[in-house]
Amino acid sequence: MPILTLAAKDLRLLLRDARSAVILLVTPLVLILVLGMALGESFGEKPDERLRISVVNLDRGLPGKQAFPDKPWSEVVMDDLTATAGIRLELITDRAEAERLVARNRRAAVIVFEPEFSERMNRCSFLSQATPPPINPFDRDGVRTTEVGLKLLKDDTQPVTASTIEQVAQVTLLRVLIPWMIGRAFERVGDDAFMESLAVKLKDAKPLPPAVLKELDPVVQKLLDSLMRDPEFGAMMLKAVGFRDATTIANRSKEFKEVMSQAFNNPKLMARVGKDIAFGEVMTPAVRAEVGPKVRDGVQEVLSNYDFKAKTWAGLNKDRARTANPDGVTEYRDTSGSGFLNRGAVRYQILVPSYTVMFAFFLVLSVGWLFVAERKHGTLARLRAAPLTRAQILMGKLLPCLFVSLTQGFFLLAAGWLLFGMTWGSRPDLLAAVVVCTSAAAVGLSVFVASIARTETQVAVYGTLLVLVLGGVSGSLMPRDLMPEKMKTASLATPHAWALDAYAQLLASPTPDVTMIATACGVLLSFGVVFTALAWWRMDLE
Amino acid sequence: MPERILEVTDVQKRYGENVALGGVSLTIDAGESFGLLGPNGAGKTTLISILSGLSDSDGGEVKLFGQVFTRAKRDLRRLVGIGTQDLAIYPDLSPRENLRFFGKLYGFGGNALESRVDAVLAEVGLTDRANDRAGTFSGGMKRRLNLAVAVIHGPKLLFLDEPTTGVDPQSRNHIFRQVKALNSSGVTVIYTSHYMEEVQELCPRIAILDGGKVRACDTLPNLLKTLDGRVRFRLSAPVPGFEERLAKLPGARQVKPTDNGFEVTTDSVPQLLPAVMTLAAELGATITAIEPREPTLERVFLHLTGRELRD
Repeated sequence: MPILTLAAKDLRLLLRDARSAVILLVTPLVLILVLGMALGESFGEKPDERLRISVVNLDRGLPGKQAFPDKPWSEVVMDDLTATAGIRLELITDRAEAERLVARNRRAAVIVFEPEFSERMNRCSFLSQATPPPINPFDRDGVRTTEVGLKLLKDDTQPVTASTIEQVAQVTLLRVLIPWMIGRAFERVGDDAFMESLAVKLKDAKPLPPAVLKELDPVVQKLLDSLMRDPEFGAMMLKAVGFRDATTIANRSKEFKEVMSQAFNNPKLMARVGKDIAFGEVMTPAVRAEVGPKVRDGVQEVLSNYDFKAKTWAGLNKDRARTANPDGVTEYRDTSGSGFLNRGAVRYQILVPSYTVMFAFFLVLSVGWLFVAERKHGTLARLRAAPLTRAQILMGKLLPCLFVSLTQGFFLLAAGWLLFGMTWGSRPDLLAAVVVCTSAAAVGLSVFVASIARTETQVAVYGTLLVLVLGGVSGSLMPRDLMPEKMKTASLATPHAWALDAYAQLLASPTPDVTMIATACGVLLSFGVVFTALAWWRMDLE
Repeated sequence: MPERILEVTDVQKRYGENVALGGVSLTIDAGESFGLLGPNGAGKTTLISILSGLSDSDGGEVKLFGQVFTRAKRDLRRLVGIGTQDLAIYPDLSPRENLRFFGKLYGFGGNALESRVDAVLAEVGLTDRANDRAGTFSGGMKRRLNLAVAVIHGPKLLFLDEPTTGVDPQSRNHIFRQVKALNSSGVTVIYTSHYMEEVQELCPRIAILDGGKVRACDTLPNLLKTLDGRVRFRLSAPVPGFEERLAKLPGARQVKPTDNGFEVTTDSVPQLLPAVMTLAAELGATITAIEPREPTLERVFLHLTGRELRD
């Protein structure tokens, strides 16, 4: 089989080419290693300009159900945070992790909702006495966070950011606490206990001032007038005093009313009469029951710009309710890796495929130099004199290149797994397919460049330029997610971009899109076929 | 009647405006060792490229082993070996690996290939260095390996294009011996060179190529016959009647007086030279200087082309 003979020879030459081994295997590994150690934890993530508020929620919530709030207070606070523009919430599952992150300066501050947070928030009140005992959460600086069971872990080396986070927490707590406390307090205005305490306070307010009694005169006049006209009252009088006296009282009621009016308008007389009467005696339970709600309604009416019963900030202000943003909440994941190499860091899930793809196309140099050497040593002419077809010669070249490319691809992924602790995702079989298809495209491009370049310098210039430009355009040098959408779309003109998208699906997504991966593989194979066809057309093999 | 192994009829080749071959015709029989002589740019390598299947001609016809030969006739290429002017070996492979590779391309394999590789390595004197990288070899050793590669598949017709370029005398002798041995074993050899002495030594029949055309094609003696030999000599003093006696010597065709002497044109310098010496003794003349000039291939070439071979 001449093809295998040719392939075996070229493979032997490629394997003996230390220069290729350095370019194809060592360089990408070194780059991945250096970048893996140098890049920040958030490498590969879309930059989020929102302020990150990290939260540990240990809140037990409230026992049983209650009308407000219908969820733990910690969730009310977190909803308020996520509803605030420019803020995103990061949930850390345990306190020790949070303390570790702060201690290692990886978080400026972390809010910890202690287990009793809901219970303490529920007790916050303007009242001085209640059961259970109320908590006054305020002081001159705002909310006393420790009083409500909120702990702020702070990194002293990042005071500005920590202070910003603290202020955000303060504002949010005020926004949650104030309407809650006003609402609760307003419920008390005019209620029986309130009115009773008012009555108690008025009980000792003696004497009843003559002016007050004077003001009662019209009421007394109305009462007497109505009574005299009422038949039932007439019957009661008739029964109590007899016909003659009842007739006399009825006939003299006018004079009686006048005398009563004169008495009520006589300050001295009233001073004497009211000497032993207290205000509180007027506040009978029935009066209190009737007057209390009217008092509350009256206050609400006077201050009608606000709804004091609402218990939420938006309700208090009679504004539209703020909507919590579920997208503003993410679970904290430790993506920093461990050890000297940061093994397992999520950045390797991006770095390894990026450099695997980019350096797959550095095959252009190895193959180009192989062809140039074949021409320079006269052996290409010698092959042309042998009983070989053009297809046999080309296939004899393609096979070892494909083998080298596949070896490179699998080697780098294996090294990524062994050295850098990257995962192969949930579909290693599809990962292998992407390696194969990427290699097909790389080999195609390599033989195409080899068909154009005539000298080692041309190979180096064309190859390096092509690989770096395609790498840059496609997003091999930076995460594709960071590219502008237009550029991202344009980059699909490169095989690299398809390979990177397929790798991203397989290595970064828990549920890879198989259709997308199959499409990418198809496109990569098409690139390989087209490049090889161009090489076939260009290459002087006969 | 020997088998006609190669028949070239009016073969033409152009590279743009440049005419590399302007209608070359020649025939070569089986078992011949045929020399193709010409200066640089004469068209030798172009002709060899066409005859060995490296390229096609623009016109004319090449018949190889009785069949019209073009690049498409891959089976005929199996019968042909070519030692290219430029080396055609893999410097990163050893001689053994080079020979195995080319042997396999021609269908050899297994023990037959190994035996053949060992034999060829021995023939070119590279057995001791069989497993060293060819890139570390001297120019002469590389040339010998190049020749080994050309014959690994046992061709019936062997083209050797300037096979001794840049080699040391030892390697040149090796190559000469091997070419002679191959020819003795029945391999038809077409040997191109601009070293006249090589062609003279190896090739009974020679074609002189210049400007893309065959200027002459014949056996060496016949080519030499196209030119006369000359003997020039000087006498210590003029001798009356010497010129007349000289003209009557056997083989002397023309006598021309020169300063203090004569130049005699002859068909045979070896025959004329002793006769001149005898005549001088007989007439009491003293020859102070004598210069015999036999016809050489170089002079034939100069005569035919009007320029030196190495121009």
